[in-house]
Amino acid sequence: MEFVHKIQAATEEIFATMIFLDLTAGEQIDQKVEELGCYVSAMIGLSGGFNAILGLHCPAAVGMAIGGAMLGIDPEEVDEDTKDALGEITNMLAGGLKESFATEGIDLFLAIPTTISGNSYKISAPSGSNRVLVPFAIEAGRFYIDLKYSLA
Amino acid sequence: MNHAEQIAEATREIFSSMIMLEVTAKEATTRTDPSFAKSISGMVGLAGSVKGNLSIHMPELVATSVTTAFLGMEVESIDDDVCDAIGELANMLAGAVKTAIDPSGSEIKLSMPSTVFGDAYNIDCVKSCVSVLIPFDLDGATFSVELQLSDA
Repeated sequence: MEFVHKIQAATEEIFATMIFLDLTAGEQIDQKVEELGCYVSAMIGLSGGFNAILGLHCPAAVGMAIGGAMLGIDPEEVDEDTKDALGEITNMLAGGLKESFATEGIDLFLAIPTTISGNSYKISAPSGSNRVLVPFAIEAGRFYIDLKYSLA
Repeated sequence: MNHAEQIAEATREIFSSMIMLEVTAKEATTRTDPSFAKSISGMVGLAGSVKGNLSIHMPELVATSVTTAFLGMEVESIDDDVCDAIGELANMLAGAVKTAIDPSGSEIKLSMPSTVFGDAYNIDCVKSCVSVLIPFDLDGATFSVELQLSDA
């Protein structure tokens, strides 16, 4: 099952049509633990053809840049509106993946987004699950799209 | 939305039958403070005809003693085993809640569990959701189970 290109395409499309920020997609990176130096994560569960958690992880400045661009505001901190915007972006990304998997006959269902934030947190998926981690860069810095999945 | 009694019953049942621990439900409430300190949260998405998240939030000390009872092995700090155990606990609780909301079993699907832990983190749901939080007493310590559902 192919994930990286679908993640890149869905992210690029959302940034081009909803957020209007220049975006550079990176290549998949191999990292097991959540030591990404991030302050805020938005996550959404997917189920159906496979079970997964899709996450967006970013430093505070990147989260504010993305949320601010989407909402047309200039947030001074990662506030409720910023978190809500990041949650909505994750929701749209999951929707993009759902659409592209649907063309391959794989049906997916989405849960609702949640955001995690703070100076000290880690996120863990069940032992034995798979992970695809793709970095992206905007002017404000790097962020990561993270898909953890299990085909069982 | 009020699934408080079903969640309380499912939690008592799972703790009693799987972990051999007796827990007592306290009065259902809603979470007003997004922050957690030295805690772990296991989360599972509900997708399909009902969209939401089911979470269990535990102070680290409670999580290690629950994991010890659950897996029958000594754990002293939050490691992979604790994350897997708390994620699995969230998964079993979500399964019970799914059965209560959707007796046919065909309309709600569960995502992969995810666990978040750390010294200080916040968990926020998107604005357009309703939630209920049930605190439980376990030998004088407290943990809670939370259900968030999309109201869209």
